[in-house]
Amino acid sequence: MQRRWYTAGAIIAGLAMVATACTGGTGGGGGTTKGEIIVASDQPTSGGDASDGIPAQNGIQFAVEQAGSIKGFKLTFKGWDDTVNGNHDPQKGAQNIQEMIADAKILGMVGPNNSNVARAMIPIANRASFVMISAANTNECLTQTFPYCEADTGTTPAKLRPNGVNNYFRIAAADTFQGPAAADYAVDTLKATKVAVWSDNETFGKGVADKFSTELQKKGGTVVVRQDFDTKTTNDWKPFLTDAKNKGAQAIYAGATSGTKICIPRAQMKGILDVPYMVPDGGVNAQCIKDAAESAANMYGTVAAADANQNPDAKATIDAFKARFTKKEDVGSYTFPAYDCAKILIDAIGRAIDANGGNLPSREQVRKAVSETKNFKGTTGTYTFDPNGDPTSPTMAIFQTKGSPLDWVFVKQFGVGG
Amino acid sequence: MVGSLKQARVAFVEAPIGRLVNLLVILAVLYVIFILATKILAQGPSYFLQILTYGVANGAIYALVALGYTMVYGIIELINFAHGDLFTLGGFISLFLLPIFGADASKAGTAGIILPLIAVFLVTMLICGAINVSIERVAYRPLRRAPRLAPLITAVGMSFVLEGLMFLWKGPFNLPYPNLLPTTGIAIGGATIGLKDIFVIALAAILMVVLALFVSRSTLGKAMRATAQDQDATELMGIDINRTIAATFFIGAVLAGAGGTIFGLYYNTLVFDLGFSAGLFAFTAAVFGGIGNIQGAALGGLLIGLITAMWDGYMESTWTQVIIFAILILVLVFRPTGLLGMRVPEK
Repeated sequence: MQRRWYTAGAIIAGLAMVATACTGGTGGGGGTTKGEIIVASDQPTSGGDASDGIPAQNGIQFAVEQAGSIKGFKLTFKGWDDTVNGNHDPQKGAQNIQEMIADAKILGMVGPNNSNVARAMIPIANRASFVMISAANTNECLTQTFPYCEADTGTTPAKLRPNGVNNYFRIAAADTFQGPAAADYAVDTLKATKVAVWSDNETFGKGVADKFSTELQKKGGTVVVRQDFDTKTTNDWKPFLTDAKNKGAQAIYAGATSGTKICIPRAQMKGILDVPYMVPDGGVNAQCIKDAAESAANMYGTVAAADANQNPDAKATIDAFKARFTKKEDVGSYTFPAYDCAKILIDAIGRAIDANGGNLPSREQVRKAVSETKNFKGTTGTYTFDPNGDPTSPTMAIFQTKGSPLDWVFVKQFGVGG
Repeated sequence: MVGSLKQARVAFVEAPIGRLVNLLVILAVLYVIFILATKILAQGPSYFLQILTYGVANGAIYALVALGYTMVYGIIELINFAHGDLFTLGGFISLFLLPIFGADASKAGTAGIILPLIAVFLVTMLICGAINVSIERVAYRPLRRAPRLAPLITAVGMSFVLEGLMFLWKGPFNLPYPNLLPTTGIAIGGATIGLKDIFVIALAAILMVVLALFVSRSTLGKAMRATAQDQDATELMGIDINRTIAATFFIGAVLAGAGGTIFGLYYNTLVFDLGFSAGLFAFTAAVFGGIGNIQGAALGGLLIGLITAMWDGYMESTWTQVIIFAILILVLVFRPTGLLGMRVPEK
């Protein structure tokens, strides 16, 4: 209920900002006389994934508000929602990016949240040399070429970039790290070698569940049950859970997101089996704790980005954010990664303006500036992009549900790859 | 020997392609049954009993929703697409009523919960009934003599209206529904039959038996059956057709309201667009059993629940929906009127 009012508030605030932007652009005070540059975002801000999308959008909006202007240009924020019928939607994402490209003031965007949405957006943006930076996309086939990419996702990084030049960047660690990190944690820390695995059969969910399974087997563990559900029509996970119990599962791994009911099966475990429940980043949010109801304790989650709270230098930014967005559910595990993405984009726009002799840069100049990002100090880490658009030293963090009231609590983080 | 081989070859080559397809289908079905049977034997009887319980409980809920589809179709040949959403609305209304009638978590699983729950059930069922009667009055009655497609489209429209209203009311998120039923169960042969499962199955069974008795014994039930057979003749007999049809919508919605409440109490979660998939399966259940046939809808719902649970429990759940509809196709090929036969108005 509160969240809905908040969403309405965000929309009204967004509209108000657009309105002020329209009037402000012509007047322009102080150092904002050269015109307006818009930073766009695409997140699922109204559907089942809104518990991830709204906190991320807040981070982007906050970064733009904080900057205010860049080298004489007024900076404004404009957010798009990629939700249709309560769930993130690739076609809606494609439509959104076309709208962004149609607006000449928009020089780049931060997002999207979901890998399948990214897959629909990247080729369209690529033809327009329009730069995208995502904080949360983790599907490895978006940036890296593996033999299975074509079969699993129907596309390859090269096909996603028809003009041959990379326009897509991300700071999240790819799923090649996320699933295995969870499997390592299961075996090494939770001492669970027999694990039952389910997925929502989507690009992200199935991918992360498969990689979890592979690493688990590599470490000598066994996947005792494996199921892929159509979560739109599935209400009952009890047969799966009973099967898991009978086969001696010591933990359950769920490859899904809040929009695909990731933590509903957790609630149904009550009375069947009481073992740790592990989720990828799509479940590390407040909605998951709500959905898990009485069984919300003893859950573990991976996040493909560092926790800004662990960085003492980020404290001032976090405090300022919390003064601007006051509700508990305004901030999530991807708020500050998204904030950092927006900062990287703004920084690149600044360098592009310089490169263009102080004039409004082209989208290609901005894209180039983003690709040249070197050792950018953000709240969640120091970022440099490799030629694929991946961060050169991604971080993986582990969270666990703890305390009263239950919440996701940071356990540890570590660098992966690089 | 050579002759019979030659004959067989000729028969094979000359066989109508349809017979070959039939043979392949039968082989595929036998193969699937064989695999399922091996898995059932391998997993042991207590596991089977457990999965069976889940399947019956799940099927009982589908059956309650399917009854509403089948009754409305039986009387005015309308697929009431809004029915699945009315089921969800029942869940939403009961969620809203729970605290009002004092059914809170502190009483969960105790005797103190019984009276408030009964009150919640009754009021939810009445409200749902009233809503469905209004929908019929506004969206279907004016179109009763219109071409078939017109009320079908208004039904799709009502479905979106209801979903939209629930979206506005509670937002897009999964809603937690309090766990008020006892969480204990009875151990039978290694399986645990939860009191929750028993509650769902018993309540659904009672509602369906009451409905069946009502339709077969009461005057209004007789009027409904008469209207289903021949509206004009029924009207000539002095029966108020509008009232009878409204009563059908009312009863269907009462069952959907109860179904929504049972769903919430059983799964402890609701979401605004639940009705789309629940409605689709319930409608399938109605066709499965023979549309217009009350016993058929109950049987169809039960079967869909069982198939889902068995497939999820023993096989790959990726294929659950495929299997349900494959079985539906098979049933309809051999029995085009559904398992227990259609009962629809005569032309």
